[in-house]
Amino acid sequence: MRKRKSTIEIPEGNVITMRNVHKSYEQGTPALNGISLDIQQGEFVFIVGDSGSGKSTLIRLLLRELTPTEGDINVLGYDLTSIRHSRIPKFRRNLGVVFQDFRLLEDRNVYDNVAFAQRVVLESTRNIRKNVPEILATVGLADKYKNTPAQLSGGEQQRVALARALVNRPLILLADEPTGNLDPTNSWEIMKLLEKVNEGGTTVVVVTHNQDIVDKMQKRVITMKRGEIESDEDEAGYMEPVPYMDPMEEPEYDDQSFGETAEIEASFEEAVYVEGGYLDED
Amino acid sequence: MRISSLFYALGQGIKNLLRNRVFALASIATITTCLFVFGLFFSVLVNFRHIVQTVEEGVSITVFFEPGTDEETMLQRKVEIEERPEVNKVEYISAEQAWETFKVDYLGEYAEGFTENPLEDSANLEIYLSDVSKQAELVSFIEAMEETREVNYSTVTADTLTGANRIIAYVSVGFIALLFAVSVFLISNTISTGIAVRKEEINIMKYVGATDFFVRAPFVIEGLLIGVIGSVIPIVIIYFIYNKVLEYVMSRFPTLSSIITFLPVTTVFQQLVPLLLILGVGIGFIGSFISVRKHLRV
Ligand SMILES: Nc1ncnc2c1ncn2[C@@H]1O[C@H](COP(=O)(O)OP(=O)(O)OP(=O)(O)O)[C@@H](O)[C@H]1O
Ligand SMILES: [Mg+2]
Repeated sequence: MRKRKSTIEIPEGNVITMRNVHKSYEQGTPALNGISLDIQQGEFVFIVGDSGSGKSTLIRLLLRELTPTEGDINVLGYDLTSIRHSRIPKFRRNLGVVFQDFRLLEDRNVYDNVAFAQRVVLESTRNIRKNVPEILATVGLADKYKNTPAQLSGGEQQRVALARALVNRPLILLADEPTGNLDPTNSWEIMKLLEKVNEGGTTVVVVTHNQDIVDKMQKRVITMKRGEIESDEDEAGYMEPVPYMDPMEEPEYDDQSFGETAEIEASFEEAVYVEGGYLDED
Repeated sequence: MRISSLFYALGQGIKNLLRNRVFALASIATITTCLFVFGLFFSVLVNFRHIVQTVEEGVSITVFFEPGTDEETMLQRKVEIEERPEVNKVEYISAEQAWETFKVDYLGEYAEGFTENPLEDSANLEIYLSDVSKQAELVSFIEAMEETREVNYSTVTADTLTGANRIIAYVSVGFIALLFAVSVFLISNTISTGIAVRKEEINIMKYVGATDFFVRAPFVIEGLLIGVIGSVIPIVIIYFIYNKVLEYVMSRFPTLSSIITFLPVTTVFQQLVPLLLILGVGIGFIGSFISVRKHLRV
């Protein structure tokens, strides 16, 4: 298969540009159906949407783990449609990635899990000895570097994964449901860390089902629905989106709440209504 | 490619080996067995070849000339024959020499009664071959010469030796191929298991931006290590066994050892050691390469 060079224009300051991206897996309906998207350097973006709406597919396309069936993707100036296989490692060194299931190596301790990311990109031992403790301190795990993943709580494990994603100083951090396995307190801690990373200049893209967090963080939110972008809102100047209600479904309400303040609870209920049964299914 | 990453790959390869101990040991044991059997086979074979060669060197063709052929012509023929590639050496035996030998061998003191050489026309050429399989060719060449009266040779000896050589060659090639295939299969299974066990790690490496080479190298090194260990062990074992067997045969069958000479272990090992190492490394490399290609689409 010959790779087509993309001809799209990259707007000034964009780190992620998608134009009319389609993705179909071998079987079944298309996972992505004409996504166009611009993410600027230094942005913090949430991606939300029903299960199966294509969020993970989008992340995997940005990682160049998948290639689009149609359309163009440009990340940090790399044309992901035509990038040569041998250049992919170099491209990926600009990205950090975190998953719901942490994906730590069980047979080594916290330090080695993080150092691993530096070793595989041939960082010198001297730098590794400097960088790893530094990043572990940033995520608040300086005193647990000798523990194995099994000796850590879920929240701590995710912080190790985050440290591993950050230790190579990526320009973009991609997180696919980083708090999916965590309780509210730990979820919140992770989100605060992501915000801190973002304040340091890293572009952060977070897929989440945690509407509560999304509301509280007041960031840009991209909502996906059946492989398309349903809305793309900047929460800073939050505009009331048209309430979406599936005619076939009763809207779901949930009295479980995250956070301590009444204010959060209020916005939480609103969001539930807006998204029409868009909640973490427990 | 930095030295440090080469060390990293080596370290990881050793770690793989240790982590994957059971399979690795099984592979090493199998390769050791295969190469051990091969080594024994090879030792017997080179000695057999050595014996055959000794016999071969004694195979000769004798050419008698028509009466009246002068010595000069015969010597010229000698040179012609000597120039042929399958000929090792040619000896000219004059009528006088032939008579002398005959007298010594068969007549002893009765030789006194002869005043003339009764073997006047028995001047001949004795031809030793370097390649017995070409004997027939050489015989027809000699027979085509006009001065030739008679060519004495034994087809049975030549054919037997040629056949023996051919069988040795076929059997050894077949044997090596079989052992090689079995060992490659086993190694590639071990490596595949290693890859499966480390799937998670490999995925993380890819996400972080490790190069294909970096991801693959530890597995290829693991295979190479298995191959090298699997060839060094049989080399050591065969070294001891060979010496012991030689000692035993020499002391137990002194008559046999006066007829046949066995090759010393150093001569055998000059060929066997590099051969086993190459086989081991080759098996290790090919075995791991196959599974890395198959299971490691990075
Ligand atoms: N490897 C795959 N092969 C075939 N179909 C797939 C594959 N991965 C995902 N899909 C399909 O593509 C669609 C989008 O999946 P995707 O994982 O992107 O959804 P998602 O938004 O991440 O869902 P969730 O919130 O449950 O994680 C789904 O219909 C899914 O069944
Ligand atoms: Mg998903």
